[in-house]
Amino acid sequence: MEFSFNGKSVFVPTDVIAGWLSVLIITPIVLYIIIKNRYWSTILDYTTTTNHRKIGTLYILFSMLFFLRAGVDALFMRTQLLTPENEFWVFQGEKYNELFTTHGTMMIFFVATPILIGLMNVAVPLQIGANDLAFPYLNLVGFYLFLTGGTIFFLAFFFNAAPNMGWTAYAPLSTDSYTPGPNNNFYIFGLQVSGLGTIFAAINMMATIIRLRAPGLTLSRMPLFPWATLITSFLILIAFPVLAIALLLLQFDRLYDATFFLGELGHPVYWQHLFWIFGHPEVYIIALPAFGIFSDIISNFSRKNVFGYTSMVISLTLIGLLALMVWVHHMFTVGLGAFSNTFFAITSMLIAVPTGIKVFNWLFTMRRGVISMKAPMMFALGFIPTFVMGGVTGVMLSSAAADMQFHDSYFVVAHLHYVIIGSTILAAFAAIYYWYPIMTGKILDDTLGKWHFWLFLIGFHLTFFLQHLAGLDGMPRRVYEYTQEDGVWSYNFISSIGAYLMAVSMLFFLWNIIKTHRSGAKAGDDPWDGRTLEWSVPSPPPEHPFERMPVIDRRDMFWWSKINNKPLPVAKNPRPSPIARRTFQPMFLAGSLFILSFGFIYGWVWVQILGGILSLSTFVIRAFSDERTEAYKREEEENEQ
Amino acid sequence: MKKLLPVLIMLFLTGCNVRTLNPVSETGADQAFLIKLSFGIMMFVVAVVCVLFIIFTVKYHENDLNRKDIPKHEEGSRVLEILWTTIPFVLLAILAVPTVMYTFQASNTEAGSEDTLHVDVIAEQWNWTFAYENGKETHKELVLPVDREVVLHLKSTDVIHSFWVPRLIGKRDTIPGEENELKVTPDQTGTYQGKCAEFCGLGHTDMRFDTEVIPAEEFEEWLSEEK
Repeated sequence: MEFSFNGKSVFVPTDVIAGWLSVLIITPIVLYIIIKNRYWSTILDYTTTTNHRKIGTLYILFSMLFFLRAGVDALFMRTQLLTPENEFWVFQGEKYNELFTTHGTMMIFFVATPILIGLMNVAVPLQIGANDLAFPYLNLVGFYLFLTGGTIFFLAFFFNAAPNMGWTAYAPLSTDSYTPGPNNNFYIFGLQVSGLGTIFAAINMMATIIRLRAPGLTLSRMPLFPWATLITSFLILIAFPVLAIALLLLQFDRLYDATFFLGELGHPVYWQHLFWIFGHPEVYIIALPAFGIFSDIISNFSRKNVFGYTSMVISLTLIGLLALMVWVHHMFTVGLGAFSNTFFAITSMLIAVPTGIKVFNWLFTMRRGVISMKAPMMFALGFIPTFVMGGVTGVMLSSAAADMQFHDSYFVVAHLHYVIIGSTILAAFAAIYYWYPIMTGKILDDTLGKWHFWLFLIGFHLTFFLQHLAGLDGMPRRVYEYTQEDGVWSYNFISSIGAYLMAVSMLFFLWNIIKTHRSGAKAGDDPWDGRTLEWSVPSPPPEHPFERMPVIDRRDMFWWSKINNKPLPVAKNPRPSPIARRTFQPMFLAGSLFILSFGFIYGWVWVQILGGILSLSTFVIRAFSDERTEAYKREEEENEQ
Repeated sequence: MKKLLPVLIMLFLTGCNVRTLNPVSETGADQAFLIKLSFGIMMFVVAVVCVLFIIFTVKYHENDLNRKDIPKHEEGSRVLEILWTTIPFVLLAILAVPTVMYTFQASNTEAGSEDTLHVDVIAEQWNWTFAYENGKETHKELVLPVDREVVLHLKSTDVIHSFWVPRLIGKRDTIPGEENELKVTPDQTGTYQGKCAEFCGLGHTDMRFDTEVIPAEEFEEWLSEEK
């Protein structure tokens, strides 16, 4: 659509206008709901607290919002691909490139990663008997960095500048010689800011799990979700700095004409190495916590302990280690030579072994159990065959010579959705149903949950199963149309129908949440007859739920205390634990980084300077303030008495 | 169901003619063999998991009889765990051996004889140029003689692209500043779709070409024609 503005005519695409219109419609509605229900104090409480459960809930809330946004992008893509040579709205060429870039980047960085960090926040401290994370302030900073990064990336579309070089940002396409303009700067800064937050979260989880476990809860008695979190945190700490470096180099290429990835001195393949040295561990960063969640849920709803606990832990560790040495399997067609291709083919195949061990252990956890088909368990059951299908296509892809056919085709698209939706997204839903009582004190409706599950699972398989065949039939990924003689329309047509079905399933989920909060049915304590420590405290747990530390002498201690009708023994002395305080500082830092990022994205030097000064000043403010002072004072007074 | 039937038939028909599984060269056939082999092994794995999955969920799901049961504690089973650790190794070995073999074979792009045809493939945003040894150049149309070895020299003038003719051979990237090679001997005449497989910007979708494999005499004639 063309507008006349100050005598100049400005072109604004209709999808951007539609985006702004939807903002104009949604904002007053949200404001009305907030004002009507007087949510202000709750909002203030959640946005300034350092309590792990509330921060976790915020992580999950915003990840879900980003999930819906990226899901809408997917629906547009599927509609564009509905029939051969279709022309849906504006989504051909550039706009389609923006769609899949936004969809991919958002789903990986602002949905899959943070939603798991949110779940870790909610569950891990409670599962290990800690009162909060080791560094509550850092936790809030991490959340705000994620939110700022996500928002920067989210906004790109509204300025008609959505990134357009694919979520993998391959150089030299991603350098300013081939994609000038602010578009891809949004990608760099969105990821850079949120990536820092992810690193903080990982450090926090490590310190918490290593230092704050309840007395007697040795690592060998720890539930598997904290175990997965621990190993994931190590992976994050190794992988995310590599991404940060890669993004920084790309930023210098784009903004200051450095030539790291092109020209005489640079090389485009450097980017691929850096990106996948980060990118492959990232796949396991979002898969391992999902494995942990499923281990806990399957054990809980089979009323049985995890089968082969030791091998479960060992295989988690092995997957984590192998994850660091398989990145070249994303680059089999680059021409790195037969030796490196076969080496990485073999290491990639090896990952199947520990993963297979886990699958069989899950199956045998259910054997001789009593499987209760509640919504969280349904998602866990859906996960097993779905993920196995994604896993086996992974082994197929690892065969380097065959990968020359699979690579960058719809086969890969199908594979990656099978593993990521199959593990991470199903785990996120399972965990949301499972831990909803902990987050809110209410329990989600089971029937609606099952509707959500079945529609989502059927829609998912409809969408992605046939994409394997489309890929084998020669359909490359990232194309906005195909011709009649390509012979892939039936695959694509059914695929699109499946995508709509998944969208419908999400409506059931949203309705479930709305309904649960309207009816206000309380979950009560321990609604699932739980095994692990998070169910030994009231739902929702108060701040500092373990004022008296439980003393642990075996796995699934809480379950055994219920079976034997003995209360959990508690330690005599309370343990000093992190102190929750309200603070606006992280919010201020987020705002400063937001300004700084926009300064760089659009090359406004004065805004950069302003953002830089503001960001630095947060460190100064932080250096001279200590939210614990008050608590120390109180303690001293108590001691004097 | 009546409405579904044509769709199912359509699916079946297209399923039979999947391009990568109907190769027209030996290298392509090796790759198709690997795809089929790995698919076979993996279907075995999927079948085992699905059978166990169905048995366990049917047999042990909660009902009125077992609702109050407390299942026995079960630490694990060494025999079973050794079993499902070693069997995957065997299965992977079956796949790994031909993988290593064919990967080394596909990487050997040295011309077999002096008779080998050399074609420069130059990818750019968003066009393909094919340059023959006698100076003849074509765009978006690669003409090859049947049953004669050809070495393709893949180059790019701007961003990374990827040369892919699904029925002929798997893809290989074209990288600016680098030269990649592919060696292939087409063994059937016909016209085959070629595509750019690496996302390369605005015109990526339209960056297609045709590969025409024609008899040797026709090819010589075509090559000597002025364009």
